Amino acid sequence: MDLNVLVQAVNPSPWKVFIPLYFYFTGLSAGSFILSSLSTVFGIKKFKPLALPSAVAALVLLVLAPVMLIADLGQPLRFLNVLNPAYFNPTSPISYGSWLLTFYPIATLIYIWLMVKGGASFSGKYAAQAAAQVAGTSEGDLASPADKKLKIMGMITIPLAVSVHAYTGFVFGVVKAKALWNTALMPGYFLTSAILSGVGLLVLVYLVLSKRRQATPDPVLLQSLANMMIGIIVLDLFWVISMWLVLGMGTEAARIAVRLELHDPLYLLGEIGAGMLVPLLILVPKRLKTKPGWLAVASVLVLFGVFIMRYSLVFTGVEASNLVSFF
Amino acid sequence: MGENKKKRYGMVIDLRRCVGCMSCQVTCKVENNVPFDDFRARVNIAERGTYPDVKRFFLPTLCNHCEEPPCVEVCPVGASYKREDGVVLVHEDRCIGCGYCIEACPYNARYLDPNLHVAQKCTFCVERIDNGLPPACVHNCMGKARIFGDLNDPESEVSKLLNSVPTEVLKPEMGTHPNVFYIMADFNGAVKKEG
Repeated sequence: MDLNVLVQAVNPSPWKVFIPLYFYFTGLSAGSFILSSLSTVFGIKKFKPLALPSAVAALVLLVLAPVMLIADLGQPLRFLNVLNPAYFNPTSPISYGSWLLTFYPIATLIYIWLMVKGGASFSGKYAAQAAAQVAGTSEGDLASPADKKLKIMGMITIPLAVSVHAYTGFVFGVVKAKALWNTALMPGYFLTSAILSGVGLLVLVYLVLSKRRQATPDPVLLQSLANMMIGIIVLDLFWVISMWLVLGMGTEAARIAVRLELHDPLYLLGEIGAGMLVPLLILVPKRLKTKPGWLAVASVLVLFGVFIMRYSLVFTGVEASNLVSFF
Repeated sequence: MGENKKKRYGMVIDLRRCVGCMSCQVTCKVENNVPFDDFRARVNIAERGTYPDVKRFFLPTLCNHCEEPPCVEVCPVGASYKREDGVVLVHEDRCIGCGYCIEACPYNARYLDPNLHVAQKCTFCVERIDNGLPPACVHNCMGKARIFGDLNDPESEVSKLLNSVPTEVLKPEMGTHPNVFYIMADFNGAVKKEG
């Protein structure tokens, strides 16, 4: 049916750039933590040099994230209301997410403390030795009691890290008023791109730390980080294409949303081009992947692309819903 | 029976009578001190069909005071709530102004007040209905297109209209079960005349 809306007064959306920034920082934090747990919980020793720097990055970013969230509130001083048990609303993702945002940094802090207390093997200062341990696989130092404690703490914190970022996917997923957001893919999409940005950040952190210590970065570690990035970018592309296809065949609002997305140069060039395709072009050929400089370029692009994903999802979603009639 | 029964407020908007004078929109702004950029009650204008079978129509909207309000479901602090009599309201002193309810409303009925910094919405003029008066938009509707009353009372004008005339709600696919009903919105859609 042809419906032309001639006059439709729109109440403006209150969300500003702090919202995508907040999602970006929680994503970076969760991604960094999962990287840190690869060696401490899953026992993959080649990631050991990253364990402490990524845990610290996770904590710092998670202190920064709620600041963004509070900055976007109309009544910033009332942010404590979300932690008031009497006001708890089980159907609101922001309500249970706020509790996750409280427990996750505490758990990460304990985890870091255990790691620092547990011994030098995790401290970045001994990155070279730790890298050397990769070759001698039967080191067996994860069996020490301190490391066991660390592993248990890591096992407690991983679900928190996963849910602290997955909940932001639910924040969007449950909003049926916005066709672009209202999909069960959202938490998965948010989580994988969070891990992607975490890997990108840690590649940069690792390269900077190696440079400052005048040590050569471990090529095996860089190689596996690069392979991880390739895998997650492909997975992200899978989410994106699934959304295009399903939304493109969906309701009028969904079609308008996906059309708007596919005509948005920021989305196409920023998220898909610079954030996914160009990093793939850098990372897939063996010649470039082994060069730290190119890896750094790919990481910067990935970090940029994931932010654009957050940004364009929030604002394209709002804009698309304003193009559909409210009646 | 009707005496001690719980009230359930609702509205019927008769599009046959709406002339598009916008007095509901203006009245609402005056009565509720609605900021310049924002709206609680508004009159939308749309046209449907292709030439020569075109119809232009007015469609006044307001908060639907849904039975299953998405705004109440997503509020992280329980500041948005549904009163016993069906009116959806905001605790102004509890709202943190996160704007989530505003994004979650399929009808774009809410806004963040730039002066109070909290979410605001149509209240069915709660201070008027609690004192036995109709909402301001109903009171000032010159065509009497807006009819307000208790949906649980079979003798009320809204109930009689709902029982005798076919009505529709907006965006029924959202599953929100609005308490604002429209007469003849379907007619305004189906303008194709055969022969």
